[in-house]
Amino acid sequence: MSLAQKGRRVVLAGLVLLGGVYVRALAFTPVERFQGPAQKIFYLHVPAAVTTELAVILVGLASVFFLFLKDPRLDRFAEASAEVGTVFAAIVLTTGPIWGKPIWGTWWTWDARLTSTLFLFFLLIGYHVLRGAVTDAGLRARYAAVLGICAVVLVGFIHMSVYLFPTLHPQPIVLRPAKPGVPPEMLVTLLLSFGVFLVLYVGFVMQRYAIAQQREGAASDV
Amino acid sequence: MSEGVPQNAGYLVAAYIVVPVILLAYAASLYRRSTRS
Amino acid sequence: MRELLGQAWTVARKDLVLEFRTRTALLSAVVFTALVLTVFNFGRDPTAVATIDLAPSILWVTFTFAAMLALNRAFQLELENGALEGLLVSPLSRHSLYLGKLLANLGFVGVVEAVGLPLFVLFFNVPVAPVLLPLIGVIALATVGFVSVGTLFSAMVVRTRFAELMLPVLLLPFLLLPLTYAVQATARLLAGRPLSEVSGWLKLLAAYDLVFVTVALLLFPHTVDE
Repeated sequence: MSLAQKGRRVVLAGLVLLGGVYVRALAFTPVERFQGPAQKIFYLHVPAAVTTELAVILVGLASVFFLFLKDPRLDRFAEASAEVGTVFAAIVLTTGPIWGKPIWGTWWTWDARLTSTLFLFFLLIGYHVLRGAVTDAGLRARYAAVLGICAVVLVGFIHMSVYLFPTLHPQPIVLRPAKPGVPPEMLVTLLLSFGVFLVLYVGFVMQRYAIAQQREGAASDV
Repeated sequence: MSEGVPQNAGYLVAAYIVVPVILLAYAASLYRRSTRS
Repeated sequence: MRELLGQAWTVARKDLVLEFRTRTALLSAVVFTALVLTVFNFGRDPTAVATIDLAPSILWVTFTFAAMLALNRAFQLELENGALEGLLVSPLSRHSLYLGKLLANLGFVGVVEAVGLPLFVLFFNVPVAPVLLPLIGVIALATVGFVSVGTLFSAMVVRTRFAELMLPVLLLPFLLLPLTYAVQATARLLAGRPLSEVSGWLKLLAAYDLVFVTVALLLFPHTVDE
């Protein structure tokens, strides 16, 4: 079975498991007292956000290793992870406002998670644009790696700055359900959802990697 | 217990539909791109 | 270390001399800045929104444009006549090349800002005098932030298609951060807040500069080498 086919199977499995998470979230997890049913969007929104961050961190790591090792497989992986990350970022940026409107009364808010995901989204768009604009494969890989590393450093800096200078950054003035002290059923649903999003990430990256391989006319080396 | 809980299930449905739509659209895009050439 | 700086200064001086000799780029950047400030001046309704609320944003949007203008032309000189290859073949270290370009760009943007700030004070009647020194500090730190990443990216972008369009697209997230810090700091300075409230933002700007000059310095060789 080719990499792409395996990837498709993994994604299929992931989608089925997502259905399972849906059932669990909708039927077997309690409704949050103050936020109502819309709070359950959290079970999709947060795992998507974490997966986006993971995707970008992996792009950064692959980029660093690529600059040292010059292995084109690392570049292909970075390309794949970046694109999949963009998809998950889109999920965060759509579910965020849909969650925000009933809970905070506004479609958009500059809270830590949405803001950093928006940054990630712009960075990832830039990454794709750069890759598309360079015709020479070697140059493209190197440039993308440079950008990938800068992107990860930027996101790391944003996180650190929020951590080190908390008083400078506005925190959302609303109940944050993602804290410990959350009923165990909610935590379990959340963790299951993380797992499913990870499965989807892996399956998508496998397929996208295969496309990158195909494009370079490489034989099926992984 | 059901008193005072906000009635915002519509948003829940919207979000729970948007997510698989995005995922399936991407899966379709990947499929198309891999079977081309 | 001395050699690094010495070489960097050589590169910077070459660029700056070229700029001041021809003056066209510099002049158009200065004129552009004046134009932007004028447009902002006429575009606002002072009875609707207090100038002091808009002022920091206006100042920083103007300076960001100025920085973009500088960065767009940063490596264009080298693109012609294979000058870049010439530089690379010379015993000049890559890091010196980056530092030199950084210094030259800072010089360019600095001149534009030096003209822009007085114009800004003139048009918008902002009480800058009591906070001039810290304000210059904010401007200096933020400019280093813009230009550090911008110099790195302009080296890459110069060999891509649609270079002038690419640079803003790539740079946007990296500009937003120092820009936000700068606007926050400027707003507080102009509002007469105590320095202790501004110091946090200054520290963030300084940290950003430290991190990104280092990262850009380390990554620069990869943008010009094989």
